[in-house]
Amino acid sequence: MKRFAVALAIAGVVSGSSVLAHHSFAAEFDINKPITLQGTVTKVEWVNPHVYVYLDVKDASGKVTSWALSSLSPGAARRAGVTRANFGQGQTVTISGYHAKDASNFAFMRKMTFADGHSVELWLGDDEAKK
Amino acid sequence: MPRFLFLVACASIVASTMVVAQGPVDLNGVWGAAALPPAVEPGKSVRWLLPLKGVDPEGTDVFKGLDRIQVNNRAAAPNKPAYKPELVAKVKELSDKQGVLDPAFYCKPQGVPRMGPPSQIVQTPGQVVFLYGASNLFRIIPTDGRPHRADADPSYMGDSIGRFEGDTLVVDVTNFNDDTWLGSDGYFHSEKMHVVERLTRKGDVLTYTATVEDPLVLATPWTLPVRQLKLSKSAADALLEAPPCVEHDAPHIVTLDHH
Repeated sequence: MKRFAVALAIAGVVSGSSVLAHHSFAAEFDINKPITLQGTVTKVEWVNPHVYVYLDVKDASGKVTSWALSSLSPGAARRAGVTRANFGQGQTVTISGYHAKDASNFAFMRKMTFADGHSVELWLGDDEAKK
Repeated sequence: MPRFLFLVACASIVASTMVVAQGPVDLNGVWGAAALPPAVEPGKSVRWLLPLKGVDPEGTDVFKGLDRIQVNNRAAAPNKPAYKPELVAKVKELSDKQGVLDPAFYCKPQGVPRMGPPSQIVQTPGQVVFLYGASNLFRIIPTDGRPHRADADPSYMGDSIGRFEGDTLVVDVTNFNDDTWLGSDGYFHSEKMHVVERLTRKGDVLTYTATVEDPLVLATPWTLPVRQLKLSKSAADALLEAPPCVEHDAPHIVTLDHH
């Protein structure tokens, strides 16, 4: 894993592709407000600067609330081997992430877990730094 | 007869070598493509971390850590643009509000020179075309000796003319608008900016440099960090249409964290 991460870092340095400027995630999402949502993926928007997933969440009374979830950039997803086909359009999934600071129905998506138990996680950090 | 064929072959080798030697350097190709892994089959699990050295992925420092690492990397860069003394405070103010003021955040082109070297070069007699794969943008650069055009509006990528100096393509760029930054730390410029890019091929490596002059805001010309790009030899690196840039985030920005 570490060697893989190093290889990616080098690829990033020698790559000529210009990276689109991103907003600060810290300005939008609260790492201290983890959130878990279960629902149906109604749309996967494969756009820059961030991939968006839209989720319809049904509560116990049957009321449906629509959520938007931001992931990393399409380019970062592709560097992970992840394409639009991995993001479960039309499927029932459980998404874990971090709620928006403005408390709207918006969150950062860290991990999408499917009904059969497989999962897609695009996140940030360094496993060597785990405490 | 075989001897005749041999002589013809020798002559054609000599002729083709002479043509290459007499013409400009060949810059055609896809440059600096990232080697991408195979796509993960739908239904298979994948876990991937955007590398953030020293940041625990299970901790509460991930978002702040991403910003901090990027800011620190830029702060450690040896050469930054030097502004006129009276404008240093303005640069800091723009930088402090970068999270909402950086024009590139709103899906505008990063512009020359911030967009960096092209991802593909198409070279034909009299013109060179730069293609930018990440943004679907292009630049047409005449190399037939014509001057800058006088009838174009100022633009994000400016007006380019090119010439060959030995192994180097030199691109002179003027007529910019002032709606781009040179980098993320408030590095604004005026419409008087003048950029000279140099692209030199040695073997399968392309070296890209860009020097920025702006008599209204910069104290001295600024040369960007040199970029070196490898020639791609894989069909898998052919440019694809990039996903468009669609701005969703601005309404949700609630703090001025610098990225």
